[in-house]
Amino acid sequence: MLYRLENLKRWHGTRTVLNIDKLEIGPNRIYTLIGPNGAGKTSLLKILAFLDKPSSGSLQFLEKKVLFEEKQLYALRRQVVLLDQNPIMFTGSVWKNVEFGLRVRKVPSKACRERVEEALELVGMESFADYNALGLSGGETKRVALARALVLEPKVLLCDEPTANVDNENQEIILKIIKRINHERKGSIIFSTHYLSQGQRLADHTLLLQNGALSDMASENIHRVTVLDRQEDGCLCQLTGQLFLKFPLQFFPDSVKVAKLYIDPTCIVLNPKATNPAEGNLLSGHITDLSQDSGQIRVIIDVGVKLAVVLSVEQYRLEKPGIGDKAPIFIPHSGTRCTRIGHLNSDQSV
Amino acid sequence: MDLLFDSVQSALLLFMAFDAELIEIVIVSLKVSFAATLIASILGIPGGFIIAYSIFPGKRLVLTCLNTLLALPTVVIGLLVYSFISRRGILGPLELLYTQKAIVIGQVILIIPVIMTLTIAAISRIDKRYRMTALTLGASRTQMALVILKEARYGILAAVIAAFGRVIAEVGISMMLGGNAKGFTRTMTTAMALEYDKGEFVLAVALGITLMTFAFGINMLFHLLQGRTGNDAV
Repeated sequence: MLYRLENLKRWHGTRTVLNIDKLEIGPNRIYTLIGPNGAGKTSLLKILAFLDKPSSGSLQFLEKKVLFEEKQLYALRRQVVLLDQNPIMFTGSVWKNVEFGLRVRKVPSKACRERVEEALELVGMESFADYNALGLSGGETKRVALARALVLEPKVLLCDEPTANVDNENQEIILKIIKRINHERKGSIIFSTHYLSQGQRLADHTLLLQNGALSDMASENIHRVTVLDRQEDGCLCQLTGQLFLKFPLQFFPDSVKVAKLYIDPTCIVLNPKATNPAEGNLLSGHITDLSQDSGQIRVIIDVGVKLAVVLSVEQYRLEKPGIGDKAPIFIPHSGTRCTRIGHLNSDQSV
Repeated sequence: MDLLFDSVQSALLLFMAFDAELIEIVIVSLKVSFAATLIASILGIPGGFIIAYSIFPGKRLVLTCLNTLLALPTVVIGLLVYSFISRRGILGPLELLYTQKAIVIGQVILIIPVIMTLTIAAISRIDKRYRMTALTLGASRTQMALVILKEARYGILAAVIAAFGRVIAEVGISMMLGGNAKGFTRTMTTAMALEYDKGEFVLAVALGITLMTFAFGINMLFHLLQGRTGNDAV
């Protein structure tokens, strides 16, 4: 096992930013960390990169317990590299930046030159070698930072939102490099992203983070709901925007006024034949987007808020949804979960 | 206006004549000022770096003390050092009083807080990502510190220049610990004070102009260096 985390917690003051009961990460795989802002992705990556110490719990790397002592950390950091979300370049040329890690490792000049050339070529920045690194664009900076990390041939490459704040062209280049590195060098890659589709397209495993805890909820189809009215037959709730839904009373105990609602995209029924209002909510909207992900079809339907619906290829062929089509959907209560806002663990679901 | 005009004329004449006494005074001034700045930089820059990058109880108190020491009068430093190096002081046998070394000791005490506080300010302004990036790329603590120092070099250089300006212009320490001995411990400022006492205002102002010329030259050098490396730093 590459990493093993047990009861790992990280807090800043009174705020818990990370709370992981158990997590095992295997070698030579691509993992994606998915979660909204503030989910704890960066905090987890910093701990995995040995740049931050957990407040409690244990972390093992290659079956050895990490004691977070300076001498041990120095050796561990030489096997793992973290690519920052907004990487910063050292003063100097692109070449000087890329060779930094090799210089501190005292790699001989000839080998150093060859490896820097290879890394710059890999990210398509070889013609920028003599440029001032501080004068690069956002996308170019990310690519040079990736070369600066890859030149070290780390056992684990951790990337914090590698495609954030870059244009589509650079996004594609970066994603292709990540895939290629894993394929050719058999190195482990853990990267965080906001985008479920991007993560699932690239990764062998997906880790979902919600409020610092691992979750089985995807980060899409999560909406804030306000309980407007309680009646005998259920609670009337309002989602962000002007969407009203009715849920059974047991979804919301008396004290809960605001909660997070998660609708499983695989449970939503497109073009339902027969529906029972007691078992879910029937809505109508328009299809705004269609895409293919790992053998599944994602349909985005605007029903006042945008909801993702995941169909199998067979279902897609049967329904033949098209962009702009009017689409009734049925959201069964069984595919819906509510979580109190601010709570961490799934066992605190309401 | 006559005083200023005569002083500039007098200063130019002294320069052009390579006046031996003036050159001697300038050399002594530069020697003690450079020595004091060098020693204070060797002690103050790493000290400032450690304080800026460490988290320890009482850090705020240390910063407050350092800021307070910026206002330390030269006369107080003169008296303090005097009490140690005078014949009756514990360092009396070293016979440091009225030597250039005594001036250097006093001036180091004067400018260490200047260099430390300005270094702390320069380091604190450096983006925290530099530290993280250096460490994740495999740098040791020392290598990481060198990266930070490199990125903060202009701020640190400004601290050193400010400290040099402080010592070359100070008079209290040089007078009390150096004694203004002609040819040994007479600096530009003590010579100016002496000429003023003698009523030789023209020579005093001429020495002042000389001092300002040196200060200007050093600052120009700094700005040229900053401009050249700052514009196309590769």
